[in-house]
Amino acid sequence: MAKVLEMPKLSPTMEEGQISAWHKKEGDAVAVDDLLAEVETDKATMEFRSFDKGTLLKILAPAGSVVKLGEPVAVVGNAGEDVSSFGGGGGDKPKAKSAKGDAKAPEKGETDKGTTPKADKTAKKAEAPAAEGAEDTGDAEGEAEAEAQADEAEAQADEAEAQADEAEAQADEAEAQADEPPASGTAKKTRPPARQGAARPRAAKADADHDDDDDEAAGAEPAEAEGPSSTAGSTGRVKASPYVRKLAREQDLDLRGVRGTGPNGRIVARDLSAPPAAGPKAATSARAPSAALAEPEKRPLSMMRKAIARRLTESKQTVPHFYLTIDIDADPLHALREQINADLAGATGDEAVKVSFNDLLIKAVAIALTRVPECNAQFTPEAILVHTRVDISVAVAVPDGLLTPVLRDADHKSVLEISSEVRDLATRAKGKKLKPEEMLNGTFSISNLGMFGIDEFSAVINPPEGAILAVGQLRREPVVRGDAVVPGRRLAMTLSCDHRVVDGAVGATFLKALRQLLEHPSQILLL
Amino acid sequence: MSELRYREAVRAAMVEEMERDERVFLVGEEVGHYQGAYKVSEGMLERFGPKRVLDAPITESGFTGISIGAAMVGLRPIVEYMTWNFSAVAFDQILNNAAKVRQMSGGQLKVPIVLRAPNASARQVGSQHSHAMEHFYAHIPGLKVIAPSTPADAKGLLKTAIRDDDPVLFMESETLYNIKGEVPDSTEHLVPFGKAQVVREGRDVTIISYSRMVHVSLDAANQLAKEGIECEVIDLRSLRPLDEATMVQSVTKTHRAVVAHEGWPYGGVGAEVADRLQRLAFDELDAPVLRATQLDFPMPYNAKLEQYVIPQASRIIEKIREVLYQA
Amino acid sequence: MPDQDRDSGERRARPAARQSGAPEARDADAKPSTGPGSPGGAPGAPSPGPRSPGEAAESGAGGSAAGSGGGDPSRSVETHLTFYRQMLQIRRFEEEAARAYAQGKIGGFLHLYIGQEPIAVAANAVLRPDDYAIETYRDHGLALARGMSARAAMAELFGKVTGCSKGLGGSMHFFDVEHGMLGGYGIVGGHIPVAAGTAFASKYRGDGRVTMVFFGEGAVSIGDFHEGMSLAALWKLPIVFVCENNEYSMGTPLSRTMSVEDVSMKALGYGMARDRFFVEDVFQVRDHLAEAVERARTLSEPTLVEIRTYRFRGHSMSDPGKYRTPAELEERKKKDVLLRSRSDIAAAGFEKQLEAIEAEIEAEITDAIRFADESPEPGPELLEQTTYAGPFAR
Repeated sequence: MAKVLEMPKLSPTMEEGQISAWHKKEGDAVAVDDLLAEVETDKATMEFRSFDKGTLLKILAPAGSVVKLGEPVAVVGNAGEDVSSFGGGGGDKPKAKSAKGDAKAPEKGETDKGTTPKADKTAKKAEAPAAEGAEDTGDAEGEAEAEAQADEAEAQADEAEAQADEAEAQADEAEAQADEPPASGTAKKTRPPARQGAARPRAAKADADHDDDDDEAAGAEPAEAEGPSSTAGSTGRVKASPYVRKLAREQDLDLRGVRGTGPNGRIVARDLSAPPAAGPKAATSARAPSAALAEPEKRPLSMMRKAIARRLTESKQTVPHFYLTIDIDADPLHALREQINADLAGATGDEAVKVSFNDLLIKAVAIALTRVPECNAQFTPEAILVHTRVDISVAVAVPDGLLTPVLRDADHKSVLEISSEVRDLATRAKGKKLKPEEMLNGTFSISNLGMFGIDEFSAVINPPEGAILAVGQLRREPVVRGDAVVPGRRLAMTLSCDHRVVDGAVGATFLKALRQLLEHPSQILLL
Repeated sequence: MSELRYREAVRAAMVEEMERDERVFLVGEEVGHYQGAYKVSEGMLERFGPKRVLDAPITESGFTGISIGAAMVGLRPIVEYMTWNFSAVAFDQILNNAAKVRQMSGGQLKVPIVLRAPNASARQVGSQHSHAMEHFYAHIPGLKVIAPSTPADAKGLLKTAIRDDDPVLFMESETLYNIKGEVPDSTEHLVPFGKAQVVREGRDVTIISYSRMVHVSLDAANQLAKEGIECEVIDLRSLRPLDEATMVQSVTKTHRAVVAHEGWPYGGVGAEVADRLQRLAFDELDAPVLRATQLDFPMPYNAKLEQYVIPQASRIIEKIREVLYQA
Repeated sequence: MPDQDRDSGERRARPAARQSGAPEARDADAKPSTGPGSPGGAPGAPSPGPRSPGEAAESGAGGSAAGSGGGDPSRSVETHLTFYRQMLQIRRFEEEAARAYAQGKIGGFLHLYIGQEPIAVAANAVLRPDDYAIETYRDHGLALARGMSARAAMAELFGKVTGCSKGLGGSMHFFDVEHGMLGGYGIVGGHIPVAAGTAFASKYRGDGRVTMVFFGEGAVSIGDFHEGMSLAALWKLPIVFVCENNEYSMGTPLSRTMSVEDVSMKALGYGMARDRFFVEDVFQVRDHLAEAVERARTLSEPTLVEIRTYRFRGHSMSDPGKYRTPAELEERKKKDVLLRSRSDIAAAGFEKQLEAIEAEIEAEITDAIRFADESPEPGPELLEQTTYAGPFAR
């Protein structure tokens, strides 16, 4: 009787295997322990030997297929047995996942219409942006890219939906719709397609970063994003030892009137006994009501917030990040910028036309990426995609979150072009005027928190990109030149790398190229 | 009661148990003809003969493994290492066999074995001979780790260890072997595991310690008493199992604790005690639990540096002042 | 217990009679044909051929062993059928274990004994039921040979509470104290001193038991092997050290792990008796081991026995096996003792009995798989009980 052979477990940790070669053909006789195929596991290329005797009737997973543990790969049985019931006979795709891109979502949308509204909706919405994306890139990136775009499109769809709901002033319903597939499916159908165009695209992005240069914000503005609110938590909290807190509970003491003499003002037991400062009795009646914990203010999650939460959690949990930091001499860059802006002012007579550090930096990064294209790459399960275009996502803080408009072909644009384009993108980002496709398909991100006075930080990678550069502020500090200590300027930058794509040495090579450009910045203008 | 030195109390426990139980034997380097590297087993070869007092060649892993095997099938070996330092070459036997055979066999086997030796610093014996090994072994489920500070406890705990059905690691101290103390003569003087002892009462701070450091802690307590600071000193005696109740009870009274032990700070017994106290007595703590340990370096040979690295009464006092917010 | 006469100069190597690998090491002390090892028709029956260059292997068991026995009652067909049954049980158990592993029913490591079956089966034949046997992690074969049920063995692989170690040990830790199987151990060589310890206990108590400890040639380089050997020889412990030399220490061939090709030479340094042979058939293995067991039982002296064998499967299930050629493997498979036993027995006219045994074993293994599948898993309450004999120490 014919039986299905399943992908065997060939190592303790194996979850799927790729059939690298079949050693038996359909119709071949098979004996116990005969070599059937070679399987590439997480550990090594392993032999897949037969446990059975018979004839290899059908190969369900051809060489190259990646198959999950326990999924069928072949059928053995007696010669001549009917195997049409296995794996759907007539040229159907094997159940095994193909090693190529997975076009499941659109297919599913077509065939399952009506039965799974959520999938339907997702797939449909995915189609348009994906297609546009393909035009953008001249489909050079293949199916994997399309898949990534589909993912992003899905995020956009969610957000567009939320926006529509907001517009209809159905704030509470919005949540329900987002969470419950049938409801949202229905709601969606009633929405005119035009809404999508108007919809604010999904928040693709990283942590609370931002683009811009140092304090003289050019281009994107920090926005009203509450950013690093330094004072929020620290005031008002009483520091006391656990024992003191217990005493306070038991004796109904108000610790707020007590002066702590421990480290950092911690109230310790002796502060209660020695000066009965805030006498139990006296204080009691006054602070009774405040004993209850104040209710926190609840701020409903916007779609952008949800998308940020989901995407960045996914990034940080699934992308193996590592970080490389350089600290460069920024005096030449500063001097160059002063020079450019002075010249611009002279030439145009318009004080407003200025280039920012960020503009120079974007250009330098773009050049560095052409020199080290391995950093301009993304990971897919099947292959690493090294981009042939340099499209830089620039993180822009907006009210309630952040967006990452993409500056296309940055390596082919002059600093002035970059400057005006970034300014335009940032302005429209804050006005929620960006088109979805203006935030898709970046190849590398830059996040700049210099205007917040941050010296250096690490950013979360913006999937599916392979790296993000986190830029700090220009620091005035004493530097050693020759034998003298003189005032100087330094700039620290941290590259977060997806280790699946960018290894340490590669990241370091990129940063070396970037340093070389920024410390000898006239090249930026030439290239 | 008799006044015995610590080494004599250890010997008395072994002799009494070997008299009582034919299955008990002693094996180790120099335990027989040489009469013991630290004279703990003096006279035992003559008393019990070479079948039960075995001189082993320098094969810690070998004779530890042999003793584990013998224990698995019913004997009750006492293994003496010349010092605990050398148990490191038998670590695999202790970790992988003594501690795990019971679980690997689904409970079919047990390993009633006692491993004993002097532990921690001696005097200027350098980095390889000054280890406090209890921290390594107390980490391992399946083992019990005992560290008595007095002759009476040395006898009572070792007798309990020999009668125990699980592997017991018994930490003595070269610098304690000569101390004297009253020891019950009874052959049934058995001190239970997992029971700490309050060796000095006090209201202001609890010092938690064991083995040699109990004596150092008492010294620190006496110095502070002159300033009116009353320390309670707990001798843990048993490190695994650990007596949580006695520690919590004391800290509930004093609200402050300092753990004093030899060996390095990272992840040691003191870290374990600190964890238990913050979990079990969180609301009683008026200060973080601090530790006075060996400094985080291998032991240097130089006499002054060695004394600097080893925890002294002064280091305990310093930590006590910190938890009293006097620093 | 340490023998007082150990300086008397009496301790000399006493190589066993059949020292096929190193003829120059023969010793006049050898007692060529004592004990149960005396082969029926040894002289004049050349072995199928030397197994490695320069070794004119003299095989005690001789050529066509198996079956009619040539009048030797210890080689009767009945005995042979018993051995065949045990070997086949191990073979089929391991094959089905491999299948279950591939199906994900067995986790972790799985080291198969396929190819080495005659050793465990022959060893069991010369041990008393109350003797002690201790193994490495390649322990299924010995456990089954000792009498562990296929159900308890398979359930252990499946991690079920009905397993020999309640599902807490797994493939590498088969224990069956009732059947004198004192366990499989996962640290290479770490169990050798432990085995010396069980032998020590036997001598201490005078209970007449023998310990047999098994390990691969990969264990011969580690310190615990030498410490165990050294102490066993020094203290004259009743133990047989059985080195199952399957030529590969995981993926490293013998020639790259040892400076000598002859493992049994390690006994010389400890003044220990030794034996060495290439597996021909199950009777031959039995007869060699019987001699070593006899030495342990009657003289309380250890022996190191090197048995050259071969495993047909990888070191473990995740072994890609690139270190040996398919041709080598196929060549070795032709010398499969199990198949040889079968053909010899069949040639003697016992095909029916063979088929009956085969049907029984199929049923037994199928039953074991079903039993293991259906058995419950161990609960967390077992953990405390099996960590300490007394109350849990925390």
